[in-house]
Amino acid sequence: MNSTHEAGWEAVTELQTASMTKPWEGLDGRDRHAACLVAVQAGDRSAFDVLVAELSPLVWHVARGNGLDRTSAEDVVQTVWLALLRHVNRLTEPRALAGWLIVTTRREANRVQQRGSGQVELSNEIAEQLPTTDPSPEHEVLRGERDTQLWAAFHQLTRRCQELLRLTVLAGRAEYRAVAEALHMPHGSIGPTRGRCINALRALYHGDSGS
Amino acid sequence: MRTHQSDDELMSEVARLVDELDPPPPGLVGRALFAVAIDTGLRDLDDVEFEVARWAERTLAGVRGGGPGMLKFFVDDLTVMINVTRTGERQRIDGWLVPAGAHGVEVRVVDHPTTATTADEGGRFVLTEVPRGTTQLLVRMHAEQSRTVLTPTVDL
Repeated sequence: MNSTHEAGWEAVTELQTASMTKPWEGLDGRDRHAACLVAVQAGDRSAFDVLVAELSPLVWHVARGNGLDRTSAEDVVQTVWLALLRHVNRLTEPRALAGWLIVTTRREANRVQQRGSGQVELSNEIAEQLPTTDPSPEHEVLRGERDTQLWAAFHQLTRRCQELLRLTVLAGRAEYRAVAEALHMPHGSIGPTRGRCINALRALYHGDSGS
Repeated sequence: MRTHQSDDELMSEVARLVDELDPPPPGLVGRALFAVAIDTGLRDLDDVEFEVARWAERTLAGVRGGGPGMLKFFVDDLTVMINVTRTGERQRIDGWLVPAGAHGVEVRVVDHPTTATTADEGGRFVLTEVPRGTTQLLVRMHAEQSRTVLTPTVDL
C-alpha cells in the first residue's frame, strides 16, 4: 500500500517535471515559497520538499530561540512540517507562509515545554544533548572568555529576543529573504524591538564582565 | 571596560556564534524529508487525518543516536511505550499501547521497507528483525479508520 501511493505521487511529479518548468523556478524569497505552496495545494509533492529543504533552518532557529534543546527542536521541525502537510489547503495566503511557520513553531515549542519534555537552555546543555555523531563545537569554537560571555548573555535574553536575534541573523542572508520579508525587516534596518533586544544583550554581556 | 560596539558589530558576533555553536544538525533536512514522505493513505490532502506524537522520557540510552532503550511517545489520548533490543545487526521492538487496542503499528526506517504488525487486544506488539537507522513509528487506529498517529524520527 505504501509503495503504491508513493509511486502515485512520483508518477504525477515526474509527469510535471517532464512537461513543464516548475512555477517557482527563477523566483526567490517570499514569491518562491508562495509559488511552492500553491503548487503543493495543486498536488505537486516535490514543491513541498523544496519548502522543507529551504525553510527547515528557519523553523529550527525559532524552536531553539524558544528554549528547546537540540533534540526537541528537531522534533518540532518535523512536527511543524507535518502540520503544514495536514493543513496545507487551509493556508489561503501563500505569501504569509514564513509567518505561519514562525507562529506554528512558537506555539508547538510552548506546548512541548508545558508538557515538561523540553529542557531549558543551559550553557553546558549543548555538549550534553548533542548526539554522538555531531561534532561537539563547544570547546573547539569558543575563542575565549569574550565568546563564552557573549553566548551566556545571549541565553539570558528573553525568548522573544533570542528568537528575534536568531531570525535577524537568518534574515541577513540572501537565501532567507523570505524571513526578512515576513518580519518586515528590510536589510540593514534595525526596528525598535530589535534595538531593545540588542541593547539588552549588550547590557548582559558587559554586566557579566563586571565592568 | 569593553570598548563600545555598534549594533552591527555585536550582531555579527552573535551571527558567528549562532553559526558555529548552534548550527542546525547535519541531516536535519534529510530526516524532515523522510518524516513527511509518509503514506497518508489518501491521495487528497483534504482528507488527510493524522496526529504527530511527542517523544517523552527517552532514557539516556534512548536519546537520539545513543542506541536502544525504553522510549515513549504520546498524543492526548494514546501513549505508546517501546523497548528496543539489539539482535545482531537488527533489533527487536516490544511495544505497548495505552489504552489498549488492536491497532496497526508500522515502523519506517530510512532505506528499508516498512515493517508492520498489529497490536493484540492488550495493546502489546512485537516487531523483530527491524533494521537500524533513522526511524519513524506510525499507529493506524482501526476503530477510527482515517486516524493515524505518527512520530518525529528517532535514530535507533
